[in-house]
Amino acid sequence: MAAHEMTQSAATASISDDATAGTEPVRRGVGFGERVQRLLPKLVLGPTMLTTLLFIYGYVIWTGVLSVTKSRFLPQYDFVGLLQYEKLLDNDRWGVASLNIVIFGGLFILICLGLGVLMAILLDQKIRAEGSIRTIFLYPMALSFIVTGTAWKWILNPGLGLEKLLQDWGFEQFTFDWLVDPDMAIYTLVIAAVWQSSGFVMALFLAGLRGVDNSIVKAAQLDGASMPTIYRRIILPHLRPVFFSAFIILSHIAIKSFDLVMALTGGGPGYSTDLPATFMYTTAFSRGQMALGSASAMLMLGVVLAILIPYLYSELRGKNNG
Amino acid sequence: MAALDIQNVKKTFGNVDVLKGINLSIKDGEFLILVGPSGCGKSTLMNSIAGLEEVTSGDICIGGGAVTHLPPKDRDIAMVFQSYALYPSMSVRDNIAFALEIRKVPKAERIQEVERVADLLQISHLLDRKPSQLSGGQRQRVAMGRALARQPKIYLFDEPLSNLDAKLRVEMRTEIKKLHQRLKTTIVYVTHDQIEAMTLADRIAVMKDGMVQQFGTPQEIYDNPANMFVAGFMGSPAMNFLRCELTCGDGRYAVRAITKDGREYALPLVHADARLQPWVGKEVVLGIRPELITHVIPHKSEADSVAHFTARVEVAEPTGPDTLVLVELNGQEVDCRVDPREQRPVGTDMEFMVDMSKAVLFDPETEERLL
Amino acid sequence: MAELSLNKPRFTIGRLFVYATLLLGVLFYLMPLLVMLLTSFKSMDDIRSGNLLALPDAFLFDAWIKAWSSACTGVACDGVQGYFWNSFQITIPAVLISTFLGALNGYVLTKWKFRGSDLFFGLMLFGCFIPFQVVILPMAQTLGWLGLANTTTGLVFVHIVYGMSFTTLFFRNFYVAVPTELVNAARIDGAGFFTIFWRIILPLSGPIFVVCIIWQFTQVWNDFLFGVVYSGGDTKPITVALNNLVNTSTGVKEYNVDMAAAMIAALPTLIVYVLAGKYFVRGLTAGAVKG
Repeated sequence: MAAHEMTQSAATASISDDATAGTEPVRRGVGFGERVQRLLPKLVLGPTMLTTLLFIYGYVIWTGVLSVTKSRFLPQYDFVGLLQYEKLLDNDRWGVASLNIVIFGGLFILICLGLGVLMAILLDQKIRAEGSIRTIFLYPMALSFIVTGTAWKWILNPGLGLEKLLQDWGFEQFTFDWLVDPDMAIYTLVIAAVWQSSGFVMALFLAGLRGVDNSIVKAAQLDGASMPTIYRRIILPHLRPVFFSAFIILSHIAIKSFDLVMALTGGGPGYSTDLPATFMYTTAFSRGQMALGSASAMLMLGVVLAILIPYLYSELRGKNNG
Repeated sequence: MAALDIQNVKKTFGNVDVLKGINLSIKDGEFLILVGPSGCGKSTLMNSIAGLEEVTSGDICIGGGAVTHLPPKDRDIAMVFQSYALYPSMSVRDNIAFALEIRKVPKAERIQEVERVADLLQISHLLDRKPSQLSGGQRQRVAMGRALARQPKIYLFDEPLSNLDAKLRVEMRTEIKKLHQRLKTTIVYVTHDQIEAMTLADRIAVMKDGMVQQFGTPQEIYDNPANMFVAGFMGSPAMNFLRCELTCGDGRYAVRAITKDGREYALPLVHADARLQPWVGKEVVLGIRPELITHVIPHKSEADSVAHFTARVEVAEPTGPDTLVLVELNGQEVDCRVDPREQRPVGTDMEFMVDMSKAVLFDPETEERLL
Repeated sequence: MAELSLNKPRFTIGRLFVYATLLLGVLFYLMPLLVMLLTSFKSMDDIRSGNLLALPDAFLFDAWIKAWSSACTGVACDGVQGYFWNSFQITIPAVLISTFLGALNGYVLTKWKFRGSDLFFGLMLFGCFIPFQVVILPMAQTLGWLGLANTTTGLVFVHIVYGMSFTTLFFRNFYVAVPTELVNAARIDGAGFFTIFWRIILPLSGPIFVVCIIWQFTQVWNDFLFGVVYSGGDTKPITVALNNLVNTSTGVKEYNVDMAAAMIAALPTLIVYVLAGKYFVRGLTAGAVKG
């Protein structure tokens, strides 16, 4: 093919019809195998896309539909509007569960964050045996909440547990019966949940601390700042994204908390430690009020979305800018 | 080896036109360089040639056959990537042989081919290493080896030297040039480095904003830039752009240059003709390369095309063989290239001569060539 | 940040405080495990007379044996052994299949993007965060229709479906960092979709496979919600059996048996954690932070 002698001409040719028409035979020439190759990515992702759409989004809609019916043991589709939601808001037990999730979630998140940050900072001071300590802080995360609940149920046992231990150690008046005290039982959940999850927060922050540029710290030291000031003014503000994601994960754990309650308190005494997740389970499965249970599940989803959407939005926006 | 013909290729991402109708063709065995600033579309064009990206419209032909809608593997091309893209889990030997293996070349032939390429690039001693055990320069060689192992119609090089340090880059540049001279292969080479473009290419396509600004041999592009963009992009130090008034007396055209202390000179435009008439009295942009403004060289200084002026040396930057002297004309900075022994001290006046035979003129609005 | 101070740390009051606090932390985190172990080796008399941290009078394995083979978990009194194996039957296929699918999905989502694939990934990300309460009722119905209710196969299915969001996220985030030029080079070399996956991508994926498998293993093994809702009498996973054992209100409470059963339920994930803790932490932080 002869080369066009195109010196000194800006090659901004106009649209030519022949050029586009000429491509057609070539397109037809693409073989069957090649067409399959081009479809492969879609074929591979297809099943996942289908299951995601069906089993997540489809089911959310389905649950939403159930929540506006009067289904009890079996689903049925007589629509009753928002009746179940009204019932839910009037339901004393749901009220307790909602209040509990606020107390439990709030304390759990706060203490986990505080403890996690503290331990991470302490561990970041060139500690001997840092690896082993880290391992010890984090192992509860590998356990099931059922195991955690079982263990703490025994430790907090009024009579034979912690109470007896401290009495044996000489504190004879010591009593500790939160587990059977309807006003205090919710706090036993906090203790066990913090024990299980705070090591994880520590690991997140430690990773964050290790990611801080050393030269920033050195510069601050040369400026005469003390270590506490450096942490407070420079390093911790730097770790804002870590706070953010730790918060998201912890609130997610809190809202999903189900197994811990089942194992530690069973929602009791009475229903004093019910959380929305256990409420939903007992309502829908033990008490045969499927529609009411669906309504409570939808409210849980609502809360998760309210926390998650701003987070995902800022995450994705950040990624697009980057 | 084959010719490459690109006809009216367009590429749109969403509503962004990345390629706005590209026409290029090169002959069998030619070395084409696509050069331009980042975002000019050169990499997209290369990926389109490779088949890694589908073009929106237009045609790409290799060796006379249209490949526009063929997948990369059926285009018979090989490519060297900027990051080298060596397969990390494979040894150098397997990296080089991979394409042959995929194409079901018999094992004996593969071994032979790997040996040949390794000899050619002097990497025989590296064949059993993993890419992670190689230095940057060695990786670069292996990446070239992988491309050379097949004998495809066209080689594509995507900024292959930009990850090397300065010294190695110059060495590899020479080596690529030698390789091309020896193998006579058709090469398309993308770079943002205008020196690489000048030294390696048979033909250069200077790109900007998804369009080819100019397509020609390196010398044509250097001496006869199509517009201010090309003129400014090619050459280092860059061409001087001097805004000045066009004058005409006795049918002879010139531009007016005024030094800082008010001395006025008329720099003659020796190739000018009547087409410039409408511009007389208006502002134009004079483009003149620094090496055309020198100290006075006696035996050259009498030519018709040579003008003289005296200006104060503002800044002097020795580069070794030459010294770049900065002066001010029409309130704008002008680079001059002088012999270090002839340079006057900073702050003092110095006499310069300008070879106006290679001067060019641009329209200050459209930035296109006037002369 | 390892070298916060320009000087080498010396022993000061400050450092004493640091070590003392860390030691308290260590005790807090270790105590429950210690209590579980000590209690599981005691007799009930020993438990009543001593306290949580007292050493057993004699190390007895009776509680472990009972927990394993004869404790009552609801109606049946065969110990937790059957449920322990159920958990393996559920966990192993669920983990392997969801991990493999996650790898393929991550590969497509990063290296073979198509129109809508990013949007789909966004939709999938939500799957990591929804409270499962909002899907369990329809899923129960579906499993019934499919004839998978109360079977381990049904549980495997459920864990794959809802684990895939996470595994895909893991692999997607890992493959995003693998240069796309590698795939392009292989395409030019003539390799197709699966060849590139097997020959180029998989050999790079060792670490992320370990991370993902460990994460999935702990998730599935520790699951309680799906287990309690979708399993039947003898297809329960160990977590459900343990909960039944502990919260059975008939007869005398045998805390030693409870603790032994809890240890049995905890051991597989604890062993994984001890053997591959590094990857476990990496999974936690990577999956969580980048998600």
